Amino acid sequence: MKRLQLQRWSSTVLSPRARTSNKLHQHLYSASLRHQSTVAPLQTESPTQNVIEDASLDLEDPELKLRLDSVHKRKSQLKYPSPPVNAAAESAKLAALHARLYLPSRLPLETLARTLVDVSADPNADFNNESLATLGHDLLTYYTSEHLLATYPRLPLTVIFAAMYAYVGPKTLAAMSKEWGVDVASLPGGEVDPGFLQFKRVEPGTDLSKATKGKGPRPYAEAKNWRKTVTSKIFYDDEFGDPIKGSNEAGAGVPDELARATAVRALMGAIYLHSGRPAAKLFFQQHVLSRSLNISQLFNFSQPARDLTRLCARENFEKPVAKIISETGRLSRHPVFVVGIFSGQDKLGEGAGASLLEARERAALAALKGWYLYSPLNVRVPSSMEEEGAAPWKPAYVDLGEVIS
Amino acid sequence: MATSIIAPKRPFVALPFLLPSWTDALASGSRRYQSSYRRTKQRLRVKPDASFGPSSQTHDHIIHNPPSSAPSVYHTPNKFLPASDVRRAMRTEKPSTTDANALPGVYKTEAERKYHLNPSDIEEIRTLRLADPMIWSRHKLAKRFECSPLFIAMVCEASPEKKQIQKQVLEAVQSRWGPKRRMAREDRQLRREAWGRDE
Repeated sequence: MKRLQLQRWSSTVLSPRARTSNKLHQHLYSASLRHQSTVAPLQTESPTQNVIEDASLDLEDPELKLRLDSVHKRKSQLKYPSPPVNAAAESAKLAALHARLYLPSRLPLETLARTLVDVSADPNADFNNESLATLGHDLLTYYTSEHLLATYPRLPLTVIFAAMYAYVGPKTLAAMSKEWGVDVASLPGGEVDPGFLQFKRVEPGTDLSKATKGKGPRPYAEAKNWRKTVTSKIFYDDEFGDPIKGSNEAGAGVPDELARATAVRALMGAIYLHSGRPAAKLFFQQHVLSRSLNISQLFNFSQPARDLTRLCARENFEKPVAKIISETGRLSRHPVFVVGIFSGQDKLGEGAGASLLEARERAALAALKGWYLYSPLNVRVPSSMEEEGAAPWKPAYVDLGEVIS
Repeated sequence: MATSIIAPKRPFVALPFLLPSWTDALASGSRRYQSSYRRTKQRLRVKPDASFGPSSQTHDHIIHNPPSSAPSVYHTPNKFLPASDVRRAMRTEKPSTTDANALPGVYKTEAERKYHLNPSDIEEIRTLRLADPMIWSRHKLAKRFECSPLFIAMVCEASPEKKQIQKQVLEAVQSRWGPKRRMAREDRQLRREAWGRDE
């Protein structure tokens, strides 16, 4: 599949100045579009400033002129809610972050600076990271979910939700940004170094659960005693199985964790827009999939032995039978039993415990995990077909579904 | 009598119970002397596992002796592999030394399932349990109809009044528990929940 030309469609998410520039593009659009640096800020420049500038040109003393210039610069910066775009090139923090993360050189510092401006700091959609974060969130969740579903096709839905949260949940992304060395600014503003993450903090004592307006798509969400099935979470809830909340009120602050997560998502979106799909996927593999997650620890069974019996009945295996493989100290204070679960002559699982019941439950649990954690050989994800010269697609293994009891 | 005569002849250190309590720390722990060195050494001389010894193989090979541990859950049992998976054919079926049927079961007697109750019996179970729940408890019904109490629970439910009475009885029993028993019960419950998380 051919790669899409960036310039054609990225205008909706990128402001004119941050767009990648090529000669043809500049030639076509420069006449009609003003660049972001020339876009007038919210308060239009007062004519008095121009007068002062003109006057400063006449000044003979270069030192005084420099000081006046810096004062004017600072004054103009204070007008903006977030740092101006030309400050990005001068920020050492931003350049260091760019180099530290091995970001592609096609991703300009200006866009990197934009990913660090939260919507609560700058409500102007041309300068905050909301659009980039939406794209980045979709990419992150898509790549994670296809990886999970292709690698472990039999995982129960609750475990998939938990694994998604562990890979690209807000907590993980916030921890990731801390590991990258992204610092937060105490207060957002035009004079702040663009290398800081800028967002408006939540007022202390705010009830975060009530701070949202509007409601999610789930009907009767307020009804307390309605059962929320796992299947209904696919339709009504977000990628992590949590209820979708309405958008925040304008001018309200955001928690630190959420602002950090949004910045990481925005960076993913920015990489995708500027450097294309391969770079975005590489970034995802290096920063998200490389984190170790033991999926076998995400399970929680209440009735493993019963579930295993149901599973064997469904798959037409012989009825599972628990047998003692070995034991020691049955009459002592600390006995140990090793129990295996057999279906016919095949051992399905093995567990050790201090009582026969515990060993049997653990063995049934091990057998169920053996079933759910099946992973096919040579796993390929659907998005690998987007690479050039990809081998023809073989259908991935699709399982019947989890055991319902 | 014989022991009392022999005892004084032994060295004093060999009879630690005769010593005062402050010498316990000194006497504890076996000492190795020149005389006992050979005996200790012989006892520690355990024959290594056969796989560590010189093998008949002439070429280089790897000795793999993993410590005994629970099998990994990421290793899917052969029976759970789908028919299309190549690992099914690759794993050679080695004849297992242990016969599953020869191993002892977890329960002393496996209850035999009779499947002898018909719908009219089940109706009778329901009417009996609703009519006089104090007499016809689950266990009495199970004994009469020769089935398990679990089956009775699957077939019918106790009346709400009986449930209320049973709840009050349980509360009365639990009110007599002291902190130790209560905590022990709670800990047992927590431990049981931890099994399901494999902790």
